[in-house]
Amino acid sequence: MFRDDAAALQLRGLTKRYDDGTLAIEDFDLEIPAGSFFGLLGPNGAGKTTLISAVCNLIRVTAGEMLVFGEPARSLTARSWIGLAEQDINLDRFLTVRETLVYHGGYFGMGRDEAEQRAEEMIDVFGLREKRDVRAPKLSGGQRRRLLLARALMHRPRLVILDEPTAGVDVELRLELWRYIRRLHAEGTTILLTTHYLEEAEQLCEEIALIQHGRLIARDSAQGLRDHFGVERLHDVYVKAMQVS
Amino acid sequence: MSGLVWLSRRETLRVSKLWTQTVLAPVISSILFIVVFGLSLGGRIRGGVNGVDYDVFIVPGLITMAMVQAAYANNSASIFQARFDRYIHDVLSAPMHPWQMTLGYTVGGAFRASAIGGSLLILSIPLVGAPVERPFALIVAVLLALVLFSSLGTVVGIYAETWDHTTFISNIVILPLAFLGGTFYSVDRLPAPWHELSHVNPLFYLVDAVRFGFLGQSDVPIWLSLGVVAALALPAYLWAQYLFSSGKRLKD
Repeated sequence: MFRDDAAALQLRGLTKRYDDGTLAIEDFDLEIPAGSFFGLLGPNGAGKTTLISAVCNLIRVTAGEMLVFGEPARSLTARSWIGLAEQDINLDRFLTVRETLVYHGGYFGMGRDEAEQRAEEMIDVFGLREKRDVRAPKLSGGQRRRLLLARALMHRPRLVILDEPTAGVDVELRLELWRYIRRLHAEGTTILLTTHYLEEAEQLCEEIALIQHGRLIARDSAQGLRDHFGVERLHDVYVKAMQVS
Repeated sequence: MSGLVWLSRRETLRVSKLWTQTVLAPVISSILFIVVFGLSLGGRIRGGVNGVDYDVFIVPGLITMAMVQAAYANNSASIFQARFDRYIHDVLSAPMHPWQMTLGYTVGGAFRASAIGGSLLILSIPLVGAPVERPFALIVAVLLALVLFSSLGTVVGIYAETWDHTTFISNIVILPLAFLGGTFYSVDRLPAPWHELSHVNPLFYLVDAVRFGFLGQSDVPIWLSLGVVAALALPAYLWAQYLFSSGKRLKD
């Protein structure tokens, strides 16, 4: 059951050691309140994608507990509440834009009519009407990125996880995506965003967590982090925090 | 159940979109086998094989060979591609039980193989007058074959590191075993030790079971053939199921 009072995401003692011995995340605790816009910052290899993959059932965790709105993250209920847009474009090469959305809706429990209707809605929202019947490999980079985001939101998830959603996109599209993500958040959706763009985190996120080597270094609002590290820019917070750790 | 239905539909849609490659090409090559080997050479084999005209005798084996190769190739390619492009994450992150994933992919392989088998059956009836003497036995044999080779394709698609790995099993294992399993001849007529060695080949039992379904005659009892194929199909399916349940090779 969906619980309003439960945290959107609760991680306790999350540890992931890959088969080659790499310790990606160690004893990681994190709680993201429902309805928040939460940013996760860290250098490449810090464990951001591993953390997201663990929550989304894409890797096997070594230890720890993960709850999504109070439900175990592995449960089917919790999985239906999560929408994921991964860093890499991973669209089904055999499906058109419309089919990509409709089939995703089906995988996530939507009926045919509902999925068809929602897909048309998402096609309009993300400006993909002209490409409705075009297969993913024939789309431009920006269109693929839009489709990826549309797919993540297709089944109306309560927790949307965006792994570097604006990586490699032009300024225009980035601003467009920001507008849409903000609107989504204003409607009550919890958002977990990872990004390398510090200004993006500052502009969008209510709270930011800095991670390195699979450990949480600091967590606060952008202003709180600046105050804590005694600097004026988030960029300096980032540099200082990474040096300290 | 929604996830299972949509995954099955996605797998069958893929087959339909690529129909010239997934269905038409294997149907044409099998028909060519029937025409070239059956009609041109068949006339030179006096009395046929076990009293059956040679062009009719080879139909069950050729249909079996085409179907098992298609079921295997479909699943190994579809899953390897999904892993390679990482769009399998859309399935793995969905609220689906592992058994639904296993079954959904199996449906894809079974659909493609059935489309090929059905087409060949329809074409071979007017072409050579192939009969279907034991339809029930034929259906059971085909179902077991589809489960076995779709599951094998799933397993290989999950383990494969490169495209070569998926084609290796098809070209080096399935195709030779099908040829040596009595597709073009009756194993009963082979001299020792080839006769005995043929009985170690699992494809022999499958071809024999399907041939029984078509012609009503077989080299070994039908229950033995079906038993051997079932004894292979069950663990193959459970292996595929284990990989989806455990996430081994699918999730780091």
